[in-house]
Amino acid sequence: MTSTTTELKVSAFLAYKFIAKGNRGTSALTILIMALAFVNLMFTTSVFDGMGDATEKQVIDTLYSNIVIEPKDEEIYIENPDSVVKKIINVPGVIGTSAQYVTGATIAYEEQSGAWSIRAVDPADERTVSTVPDMMIEGEYLSRSDTREIIIGKEIAGGHGGSLEHTSLGGVVVGDTVEVAFTNGVRREYRVKGIFDTNFIQSNQLAYVTEKELESVLGIHDMASQILVKTDTKGEEDRFPNQFVELGVHEDIKPWIVYAGIVATLTQSFDALNALTGAIGFFVAGVTIFIVIYVSTVSKRRQMGILRAIGIKESIIVRSYIFQAVFYAVCGCIAGLVIMFAILVPYFIKHPMVFPMGNVTLLIEQKAAITRSAGLIISAAIAGFLPSWRAVRETILDAIWGD
Amino acid sequence: MMGRDAQDTIIATRNLSRTYTIGKVQVQALKNVTLDIRRGEFAAIMGKSGSGKSTLLHQLGLLDTPTEGEIMIDGIEISGLSEAARTRFRLEKFGYVFQEYAILPELTALENVYLPAMALGLSQGECTRNGMDALEKVGLTERADHRPREMSGGEQQRVAIARALINKPKILFADEPTANLDSASSKQILELFRGLNRDLGQTILMVTHELEDADIVDQVIWLADGEVVGREG
Ligand SMILES: Nc1ncnc2c1ncn2[C@@H]1O[C@H](COP(=O)(O)OP(=O)(O)O)[C@@H](O)[C@H]1O
Ligand SMILES: [Mg+2]
Repeated sequence: MTSTTTELKVSAFLAYKFIAKGNRGTSALTILIMALAFVNLMFTTSVFDGMGDATEKQVIDTLYSNIVIEPKDEEIYIENPDSVVKKIINVPGVIGTSAQYVTGATIAYEEQSGAWSIRAVDPADERTVSTVPDMMIEGEYLSRSDTREIIIGKEIAGGHGGSLEHTSLGGVVVGDTVEVAFTNGVRREYRVKGIFDTNFIQSNQLAYVTEKELESVLGIHDMASQILVKTDTKGEEDRFPNQFVELGVHEDIKPWIVYAGIVATLTQSFDALNALTGAIGFFVAGVTIFIVIYVSTVSKRRQMGILRAIGIKESIIVRSYIFQAVFYAVCGCIAGLVIMFAILVPYFIKHPMVFPMGNVTLLIEQKAAITRSAGLIISAAIAGFLPSWRAVRETILDAIWGD
Repeated sequence: MMGRDAQDTIIATRNLSRTYTIGKVQVQALKNVTLDIRRGEFAAIMGKSGSGKSTLLHQLGLLDTPTEGEIMIDGIEISGLSEAARTRFRLEKFGYVFQEYAILPELTALENVYLPAMALGLSQGECTRNGMDALEKVGLTERADHRPREMSGGEQQRVAIARALINKPKILFADEPTANLDSASSKQILELFRGLNRDLGQTILMVTHELEDADIVDQVIWLADGEVVGREG
């Protein structure tokens, strides 16, 4: 047997015995603290990842769907959007399209008014790309032939406890009449047919009318400001633009992520916060292990001196402490994951956190779990090394007989 | 008495001194100690408390480094050895028994005994076999799977002796091995040493301050104030 294998074997043997036959209470408490440190490391990340995930989902479901086709740079509208839709509708993976107009407008109700974005859609098409039609909290969604009827988000309506109550219309209800002033000067009165709440502050500031209605306001036909395209999987949008171009789509084709500046901003600030809480978490876990191993080396000082006296190498002793520390950290990570998956995740599914991007639950990303575990185990190894290394620095005689 | 020829000598020192410095005070724990111990000899170091017995044992057992002088062990000049080589030397060639039993509470008697064999790279089977052999020498085979807390002080000390014997050491060092034991256990330990020496030819160097121990050993080295003041046998 090589000497390294021998040394590893003796270190592992000692570590195993110290853990298995040592004080059970100390081991259990150490593992519990490591588990809490791990949960602490994972929790903020999982919340942030959950927020990011919720935001992405909201952007896709209620704002832009998966892919947006826009007019080329110099143009305002896509001409003959039906022909574009025909080209792409049979591409495998495309499961819905909705050509629509987007226009700015001022909406007024009694003394209140404000500027919002209005989308004009074919209700049947819109249902294939957006969940807004399923999010009505009052009234109903549009029908194809509706004119002079409008659907508004709860942040426009007001009175539903939104975050932007102060800029809302102050409590419009279904059946009320609002006045809309379009950018081309046309003013029309609309009956509020429904109010929706997507739980997402961005999409709750939209209003919808039918395509037919807006074409009559703008005096145009067969045009679209954008075509939203729904695909069957998220995250694989990049494979579509080239296919669309090959099929003769000459407009700009952008995946949703391009519009999701809010997600990028969120993610960036999360990353900074995450790094900070992570550093603190690793430090706390490291210090915990350090103290546990330190106490152990102090109480075993004589024994370690004796082991060295009878010819057990210092590296074997130090490594046995590193093994113990790593064992505690690994158990802590496993226990921490159990706590996350068995307690925290189900809890937040039942009681989601309410954020402006909607209801957020914990999202445990495999990558985050792996990096956090690895970080914890590495800090534990260092924290196990330091006190034991320090302990074998003193002379054998001091270790055995010193005070 | 046979002549002390070089072949038979396992430990030889020349002008060995050890001075401890505490702050500005210097304590000369050993002064010019010159002695030799033969292979197969049972030697005792005796003297009053503070006379330098442990200090001498630590120098010979490579647990400390002398301030001056030379030590030859088994024909090897010790001062030339690196720290790693000294550790290896202790593991392979020495066995130690300390005043306190000094065995690990987490390990069984057998595991405590075979730990040094494991560190030498022996297989699990060899470790167990040699460990049981060593336990047999100290009469504790039936205690092999017991943990130290389940054993008396005398039994724990015998486990420590078995551990010291596991790698078939050239020299067994013992520093007042019976100081913490009742007289019956002490007697048992001394008889064990006597037997190991007589039956297996084990070289033993033992520090003791029990005068009656002098009767059972081959040589007594008397120390006073760090100097050898007499040798008997
Ligand atoms: N580490 C040390 N530092 C300072 N002085 C020491 C140390 N070890 C021993 N001494 C001193 O050296 C002398 C001999 O000690 P020791 O060898 O332990 O004596 P003995 O074993 O015969 O009782 C004593 O005066 C003791 O105080
Ligand atoms: Mg002493």
